Amino acid sequence: MADTKVIMPQMGESIFEGTITKWLKKTGDHVERDEPLFEISTDKVDSEIPAPASGTVKEILVKEGQTVQINTVVAVIGDGAAKPAEAPAAPAAKPEVKTGPAESKPGVAAGPTDAAPAAKEQARPEPAVHLGERGEQRSSPLVRRIARENNISLNTLAGRGTGINGRITKRDILSFIEQGAPAPASAPAPAAAAPAAPKPAAPAPMTFTGDVERVPMTNMRKSIAEHMVHSRHTSAHVTTFFEVDVTNLLKIREKLKPEFERSGVKLTVTPFFVQAAVTAIKKFPIINSSVDGDAIVYKRAINVGIAVNVESGLIVPVVKHAEEKNLLGIARAINDLGERARTKKLTPDDVRDGTFTITNPGQYGGLIGTPIINQPQVAIMGMGGIKKRAAVIDDAIAIRSMIILSLSFDHRVIDGAAADQFMADVQQQLENWAV
Amino acid sequence: MKTLNPNVVVRETAQPAVLPPEKTLLDMLYYMQMTRELEFRIERKLYRQGKIVGGVYVGRGQEAIAVGSCIDTLAADVVCPSHRDMGAFLIRGMSVRTILAQYMARKTGATRGRDGNMHMGDMKHNLIAFVSMLGDNVPVAAGIGMSFKMRHEDRVVLCFFGDGATSRGDWHEGINMAAVMKVPVVYICNNNQYAYSTPLERQMAVENVADRAEAYGLPGEIVDGNNVIDVWGAATRAINRARSGQGPTLIECKTFRMTGHSAHDDAGYVPSALFQYWEERDPIARHEKFLIERGLITREGADEVKAGVNREIDAAIQIAENDPFPEPEDCLKDVYYEG
Amino acid sequence: MALTTYVEAIKQGIWEEMESDERVFVLGEDVGIYGGAFKVTAGMLEKFGELRVIDTPISESAIVGAAIGAALMGMRPVAEMQFADFISCAFDQITNFAAKCRYRWGAGVPIVVRGPSGGGVHGGPFHSQNPEMYFVHTPGLKVVCPSTAYDAKGLIKAAIRDPDPVIYFEHKFLYRRIKEELPTEDYIVPIGKAAIRRKGTDISVITYGAMVYTALDAAKELEKEGIELEVLDLRSLLPFDKEAVLDSVKRTNKVILLHEDTEIGGFAGELAAVISEEAFEYLDGPIRRITAPNTPVPYSPPLEEFFLPKVADVMRVARELNAY
Repeated sequence: MADTKVIMPQMGESIFEGTITKWLKKTGDHVERDEPLFEISTDKVDSEIPAPASGTVKEILVKEGQTVQINTVVAVIGDGAAKPAEAPAAPAAKPEVKTGPAESKPGVAAGPTDAAPAAKEQARPEPAVHLGERGEQRSSPLVRRIARENNISLNTLAGRGTGINGRITKRDILSFIEQGAPAPASAPAPAAAAPAAPKPAAPAPMTFTGDVERVPMTNMRKSIAEHMVHSRHTSAHVTTFFEVDVTNLLKIREKLKPEFERSGVKLTVTPFFVQAAVTAIKKFPIINSSVDGDAIVYKRAINVGIAVNVESGLIVPVVKHAEEKNLLGIARAINDLGERARTKKLTPDDVRDGTFTITNPGQYGGLIGTPIINQPQVAIMGMGGIKKRAAVIDDAIAIRSMIILSLSFDHRVIDGAAADQFMADVQQQLENWAV
Repeated sequence: MKTLNPNVVVRETAQPAVLPPEKTLLDMLYYMQMTRELEFRIERKLYRQGKIVGGVYVGRGQEAIAVGSCIDTLAADVVCPSHRDMGAFLIRGMSVRTILAQYMARKTGATRGRDGNMHMGDMKHNLIAFVSMLGDNVPVAAGIGMSFKMRHEDRVVLCFFGDGATSRGDWHEGINMAAVMKVPVVYICNNNQYAYSTPLERQMAVENVADRAEAYGLPGEIVDGNNVIDVWGAATRAINRARSGQGPTLIECKTFRMTGHSAHDDAGYVPSALFQYWEERDPIARHEKFLIERGLITREGADEVKAGVNREIDAAIQIAENDPFPEPEDCLKDVYYEG
Repeated sequence: MALTTYVEAIKQGIWEEMESDERVFVLGEDVGIYGGAFKVTAGMLEKFGELRVIDTPISESAIVGAAIGAALMGMRPVAEMQFADFISCAFDQITNFAAKCRYRWGAGVPIVVRGPSGGGVHGGPFHSQNPEMYFVHTPGLKVVCPSTAYDAKGLIKAAIRDPDPVIYFEHKFLYRRIKEELPTEDYIVPIGKAAIRRKGTDISVITYGAMVYTALDAAKELEKEGIELEVLDLRSLLPFDKEAVLDSVKRTNKVILLHEDTEIGGFAGELAAVISEEAFEYLDGPIRRITAPNTPVPYSPPLEEFFLPKVADVMRVARELNAY
């Protein structure tokens, strides 16, 4: 026969502890079931506690005057003549804040004291929530799930969100998937209360079931991705476009080329654009600024970054203090940086401290692009491909070499007028270049 | 007969002209003794041993009321007990084991562990479980009576409550509706003079609960609640009225709560002289004396009744203690009909 | 065939159940001789007699308590609250007695407690409330809020036949404004099933009661702008049709929760929780609530109009959500 544990009973719904005031039996005494065994005092009542079973008092675990929580084992009754009652288990007393003697407190004590089956920890099924890849793109739980299921990084939709604040919406990602290509260039977000235009029925979500190859991004790729997305979130991008007649400029370049070669410098058109930009920046210094909190920071140096394609991605070496250089100086610097970029010999300093950037989306014949600002700068100029086009000059059609320039600028600090005046100045210089 | 409580008058009530048959008189002793001994075990033993958790409320000293009024009810009649009417459950046929399992939160208890102590009922025995909101069973009893009336059945309802419950709005709404509808209900008040710690004079400004009957247009009768034969007499008259279509009756049984409100209440607020006064009017001792004087039982016979119920209780505790607890998941069942 | 009003549909439902089941009876204030404050029980006293059409004292608690007692004896009582606002007087009987009987001791309490709820009729603070949530929070009860005449009849019949206590909230604004042709044969609307009132692809508006019409009116307007609302009428709040809610949300990915009840603790909050727990990855925008403000229902027409959710509110929120 098993021993019977004697517990401190719960004398009242709000009672959680009791004091043993007197033991009526001592160790070794025989006790009958229901015979008084000890006396207790609680916040509410003093009681005589009967033995739960017959037998010999084997152990007294709590001394007189000691206060213990309810369900604490205070004594053990060993084998007796009578059949002992089942041993009340002593579940660990639940932590409970001691309340006053008032009955009104809600802290009702532990559950069944007897051999109550401990309530099973009912493991509820885990909700099937997986956090989608958390890019910087604002989207929605649905969009993140669709992206995950289609193995799309939301960063690839950077700038394509048509929702409020550029949020990528269900429509955006579904049309991206459907086209397998960039969604239409981002339209300005519709004002909140503007009636939405009737739209075509949204295509059904598509899951790509075919073979794929998954390649982890290189560090440079990740860095570019982060940088681009960050820029999109930071600046209020607006892009303006100017068409420039470079017929004369190309002639001048041809003329200057041998002279430059003698100085060991290969003359491309880029230095002309850098110099024109530098000259214009001097007139419109806001183009050469940064935003710092509530302040606009104007930089004295004009350090022009030139975006260069390299095998692993894109890098932007910087022509430092371009404002102090002449065309030859600029051309030399560009030559030098381009060479070192291709041979991976750029130093960290070479790519630091740019204040304005020029990029060349026309390199492979593209008409023009809308570049993303290189943070923390506030403007970037894109050069389209130079093409001969029919141009109207004095009401006559002429064949001219034309280029389209774009300027993406941060509307937070640069207004359209300033940007356009800047670009007009660049245009003016390029079209009327004087040797 | 005067109580020591100046606001309470226990009137001498006429002995019923006709006494209950001998068997009924002996059954009354058995049920009162069973009530007392069962509640003693529950409150003084099982509860203090930690085998019963939560609260425990007993009706020591009030055993004559449920026993005297329920002893002659028919199986088809319905009883709505309150929390000091253990005798009603026993007489209506709920087993001692079921009751003990109920108190010990076992699956075999009347509520399968969903509720504790006296919060039990069983439609098999036409026993309606009461709720802690006192007096709620008063309009429910009226509705039960209403259904009997609608169906032209000659069943009656007995509905129990304490003096404190008569302060609740539901009590007044229910008594009024029962009277207006003339439903076959016997309303029985255990006026034990204390609602928890609140004495009667702080509960009501009228002298008697039964005085309230007049305001609602139903007969009110006051009876010595510690005299089981008097209670039986009053209940019999009221049951007959109800069964014959004359409507409800309010019976006030003057008695005294010989304990605290619950097991954890030492009733320190009750003057000890009151306990002493009512101890001398103990309903069981009085009934034993009556039976012995009438030669219906010997002293030894009466003692044997007590010993007998204790043997029954011992056996039932053995079983109930080993009854299973409900499965934790049972928590989720039976909120709605499950077919 | 004649059109049946919402109020007439409720009456038809009770009437037919009383004809086919003698356990069914009605009780309440002024339901007999007067035929009910809104005439839901008109003619029943003459037809079924005073034992089954019971005029009671003004005692909401006793009306429900008596219904409980009769139900325990096998009857099928239909208790009327003259205005749903007054159900607060019977709160204890409903939530403590009726709702817990089956769970505690296995005794079913097949009662129906019904009454006119809702605003829009200048009833003021005590004749316009939407008290459904007090009861939706009580396990053991069922709560329904029909919006059409068809449902009003189908749900009252289902409620009467249900083995558990059902709280049936009628919308008094709809009583005589809504009418439709009803089937001649017996039918019920199952408790716990929602109905799509309008199919749409862009935003789900989940609602019930009179707000169903607010949602439909907004949908008609927004259609012109190319925004297609789906309108889901819950019909039952406890239990509610979780499947239908999630299905709709998963199709449209955007959701407006609309009700006439006040905001804090309103059913929209519960729906929002369920949707975010079980359909989070289907959401393409925040879950939006449109409810009455957290005030009593005011009386003066401009105040009450301000209080009640309107078509314009739905349109505004739908546009915002559509652009999101």
